[in-house]
Amino acid sequence: MEVLGDIFNISLLAATIRTTVPILLVALGGAFTTKAGIFNIGLEGMMLVSAFFAVLGSMYFGSAIMGVMAGMIAGMLTATLFALLVVTFRANEVVVGLAINILASGMTIALMNAIFGTRGSIISRDIVGLPPVHVPGASALGQVAQVFSGFTPLVYVAFLLVPVLVIFFGRTRLGLYIRVAGEKPEAAEALGISVARLQYIAALFCGALAGLAGAHLSLGYITMFTENMSSGRGFMAVAVLIFSNGDPLLVLAGCLLFGFSDALAVRLQTFDIPSYVVQTVPYLVTIAFLFAFAYRSRPRVFREIFDKVRPASGP
Amino acid sequence: MRIFRSTFEQSIALLLALVIGSLIIVGIGENPIVAYATLLDGAFGSPQRIAGTLLQSTPIMIAGMAACVAFRSGLFNIGVEGQLYMGGFAAALIGFSLPLPWFLHLPLAMIVAVIAGAAWIAVPAFFRARYNANEVVSTILLNYVAVLLTSYFTIFLFKRPGGWSETPPILESSMLPTLFEFSRLNYGLFIGLALAVGLHFYFLRTVSGFESGTMGSNQRYAEYGGVNIRAKIFRMMLVSGAIGGLAGGVETLGVHHRFMEGFAPGFGFDGVIAALLANANPLLTVITALFFGILRSGSLLLEVDTTMSREIITVLQALIILCVSAQVRIGRRGDATAGERRWKY
Amino acid sequence: MTETPYAIEMQGITKRFGKVVANRDITFAVRTGEVHAVIGENGAGKTTLMNILFGLLQPDEGTVKVAGETAHLRSPKDAIRLGLGMVHQHFKLVPSLTAAENIFLGIEPQRYGLIDRDAAIAQVHALSERYGLRVEPTAIVRHLPVGIEQRIEILKVLVRGARIIILDEPTAVLTPQERRELFRILNGFVADGMTVIFISHHLEEVMEVSATTTVLRQGEVVDTRPTASLSKSELVRMMVGKDISFDRPAHAGKAGDPILEVSALWARDDRGLKAVRDVSFEVRAHEIVGIAGVAGNGQGELAEVISGLRLPSHGAIRLNGTAIDAASPRAIRDIGLAHVPADRMERGVDRDAPIRLNMLMGRHHKAPWSRHGWLNSEAITATANDLVKRFDVRTDSVDRAVKTLSGGNIQKTVVAREFSQEANFLLVDQPTRGVDIGAMTEIHDEILRRREAGQAILLFSVQLDEILTLADRILVMFEGEIIGEVDPTTTTEEEIGLLMAGVRGDAAATQGSPGLPAGAA
Repeated sequence: MEVLGDIFNISLLAATIRTTVPILLVALGGAFTTKAGIFNIGLEGMMLVSAFFAVLGSMYFGSAIMGVMAGMIAGMLTATLFALLVVTFRANEVVVGLAINILASGMTIALMNAIFGTRGSIISRDIVGLPPVHVPGASALGQVAQVFSGFTPLVYVAFLLVPVLVIFFGRTRLGLYIRVAGEKPEAAEALGISVARLQYIAALFCGALAGLAGAHLSLGYITMFTENMSSGRGFMAVAVLIFSNGDPLLVLAGCLLFGFSDALAVRLQTFDIPSYVVQTVPYLVTIAFLFAFAYRSRPRVFREIFDKVRPASGP
Repeated sequence: MRIFRSTFEQSIALLLALVIGSLIIVGIGENPIVAYATLLDGAFGSPQRIAGTLLQSTPIMIAGMAACVAFRSGLFNIGVEGQLYMGGFAAALIGFSLPLPWFLHLPLAMIVAVIAGAAWIAVPAFFRARYNANEVVSTILLNYVAVLLTSYFTIFLFKRPGGWSETPPILESSMLPTLFEFSRLNYGLFIGLALAVGLHFYFLRTVSGFESGTMGSNQRYAEYGGVNIRAKIFRMMLVSGAIGGLAGGVETLGVHHRFMEGFAPGFGFDGVIAALLANANPLLTVITALFFGILRSGSLLLEVDTTMSREIITVLQALIILCVSAQVRIGRRGDATAGERRWKY
Repeated sequence: MTETPYAIEMQGITKRFGKVVANRDITFAVRTGEVHAVIGENGAGKTTLMNILFGLLQPDEGTVKVAGETAHLRSPKDAIRLGLGMVHQHFKLVPSLTAAENIFLGIEPQRYGLIDRDAAIAQVHALSERYGLRVEPTAIVRHLPVGIEQRIEILKVLVRGARIIILDEPTAVLTPQERRELFRILNGFVADGMTVIFISHHLEEVMEVSATTTVLRQGEVVDTRPTASLSKSELVRMMVGKDISFDRPAHAGKAGDPILEVSALWARDDRGLKAVRDVSFEVRAHEIVGIAGVAGNGQGELAEVISGLRLPSHGAIRLNGTAIDAASPRAIRDIGLAHVPADRMERGVDRDAPIRLNMLMGRHHKAPWSRHGWLNSEAITATANDLVKRFDVRTDSVDRAVKTLSGGNIQKTVVAREFSQEANFLLVDQPTRGVDIGAMTEIHDEILRRREAGQAILLFSVQLDEILTLADRILVMFEGEIIGEVDPTTTTEEEIGLLMAGVRGDAAATQGSPGLPAGAA
């Protein structure tokens, strides 16, 4: 029991929140494109590019805020490229998404080499990370404080975005129109709203949030950029989006699950399980989740067998 | 599956990508003409370099065939990279552990590589076939798992004594013979070419291939016409994974003669892109794979001779795909139909 | 503004798509405050004309006047500003939104930057009361029947202040009773001083509802006349350019042995809901059995179950004496099924593949078209050429992709492939949807020839006249059940209509016609 107590404690909850945030931010970004009817597997690349430029911006301006801005702009530019091809040129979403990911991976490494002359990662004291926010009075609560205080600002932003998106998609015109563009484009055309414009807007929002996710990766808990540091979180977000259809609350639920499995896996590392094995856990959980969802939403078409006729009266 | 337009338009797109690539190279502060010339020199400058180019093309070509099989059948196997790793590791395992005569050893190692690749895709294939689970995400995520898992096997279970992250070398009886003295270029190239020709005839001339292609083009019609969709999806994904595994096996048995961490970086992905660029046509995939082989092989010299990193090639590949995917159709905008965008989930 | 009795004047409208002239020099006028019908066959140019009027298309020549003023209709926005509203043939409602959200889509009332749901709901209530269009504003559209969806479409147009309402084939999806309800609403609009333009290819409706009729044929106006001055046969002559007989062709043979036997069959749809409920019937040799019903009452699922594309949940199907309820599509084909599917583009062809491969799909794996797993190109081309000739598919080569053919010729390709199989049971689903009248008669003749040849035919159609013309027995489906059987020689459209609306035969006979507005009959 003591072992279980070591694993499942309050700091696991705090760790879950920490690991959830990057997936949550990028998945909420993907909620925009999903609602707009675009299957976006380019999230991974958008996030990676943003992480790189966030570091660059932070170093250049000496400010974490400017770093976050740079990350968002990079994310939005990448998203614009994605939308240009998918929306304007009607290219296949999967193909473009893949190419964006490859471009992001190659470009960040090539630029890293061109600017810093290094391979692998950018580590520098010039990178200004995001400061942790200490909620006033939290320390009085002792242990419990760590689940809502001391995180970097983007953690709070990520969780606040969930209700904001609920209202956005449910109660605002733009949110409603984006849904219409994705669900029934003919309806939008007949009303004189351009589906293409709505999809561009959705892509820009998506890029901005993927940008935040990237900035959080490289300026949040660690202040450095590493080759391919997004390490599949964008794809996990896509899995969440397939299951949630972009509904913010379901996105949150899915991301918390993945965040939890991630945190749990890290915890297991302390039990002498090799990191190579531990690192596979979040991917496997995601895949299992994806399959479970597909199984649950399978068409209910099958041969049924009538209940066998039983004696009418029992003991 | 028609993702891209005619060859002519593809050539224009290719040119556009090279131009954009030049601009990026200028942005980095290098001379694009020098860069492209260096690339070509690196790829064709000597017999050794030409052999090197073909050597680089081989795994891309075989991985490309794996992707072709899936794409033609309307399935997105993006996990060729993972299958390649599994196949490569499995071949090494057989290669160093079983003392057998060569006429048994080499085929057995290949077969096990094929089985490993197929096994690696089996679960996503089952869920795609039975419950229509999205195969794009599941196969991509399994790539990460494959890389981690093979690393774990290599480092923790089968490490070469005294080595770092590699298995013991395979026995000579399991090696694919090389073609020339001066290069590691091996018979794997012919395996790739034979696969291309075989697949070409398969899709064009056989009942099964016709049914696969029809399924890729209009699944509901294929079902109506008597094709057993679930079985076919499962089978074609397994075949795709099997060929992916073979790509890894060839790489291990023909080139590295051992498995090591990061042993074939990106070959699976390059294969996928090569197949996309070729519109899933096996014969055209040979050409696109050669093209990517040229880029890869040339990039080695690029890194030596200039300040650029070889990842500039990755950027160039991505640009090519983006340009080619754009499908510029003058005067026919807004014409996309449900059929052209059938990859919705 | 000049005073004019006309709400709409079309003057010299011409519209070309490439070499095809969809509208040629069209001139006619619509009086304010009346129902004006525009009638013509499929492909006569009605929809193109209305899209021009609504600003969705721009004419190459000619002008449109609204209330006497020349209108520049560059987009639907312009048309809506001028008081026009269009109810499309295919509804453009968003399934996951509520009725009120759909109605106010694009013009949502807002408070504090958020959509004011309460205001929208109140307005919907007010409008639906005023015009007798009953709609529950908070209902999710996905769960509503087609008749209600149409009311939502009409309300959508009304809240935008339309005084001129265009309805494109509005009755195609309705039961006769829902149709009457619609006509009652339209008459209410006219009484309120509004103008209605009613597009249809259905003679009776036009005669019933309109004051004036404009007939189009091959993109040109034949004439505009007061409807009262037209007889049915006259209208047909104007539409088609020749007399067409409405007589049922004589049936020579007598029904023979049962070929298809369906008993106590149940099936579920993709969402897992029961779509086919306890259906039993048989189809005999020398017989055409028609399945009538409003679209979406389980016909699609029933056809899929019979052809092996969907598993039944309970019950039995026998074809030629063999149980087929768990058999694969290929096995059922081998036992004797040929199947013309409802949606030719979705199920019936591979649009990118050449005609010759499409012609042989389903038996491509048999000799002589293939041997030992290899396709035999020569045999395939020979058979395809033969079928193209026999079924008059208009193309210069069987190597062309199917997508280069017209809709009618694609349908003929499907019919040729299926009717040339050695099968004694034909499942024919919506055989003439969206094909021109020429192809339609050819396909009908072919179906009748099959019956004479002794095949058993199960015909699904949402076009009642098609079923009435062809079938020997008619089964009516409602919510997955076969709610009644009628004899086409003695039945009335009224009787079938009630069945289609779910009113059982015995109930209809004893209780009169509930649900009908007074004076409609």
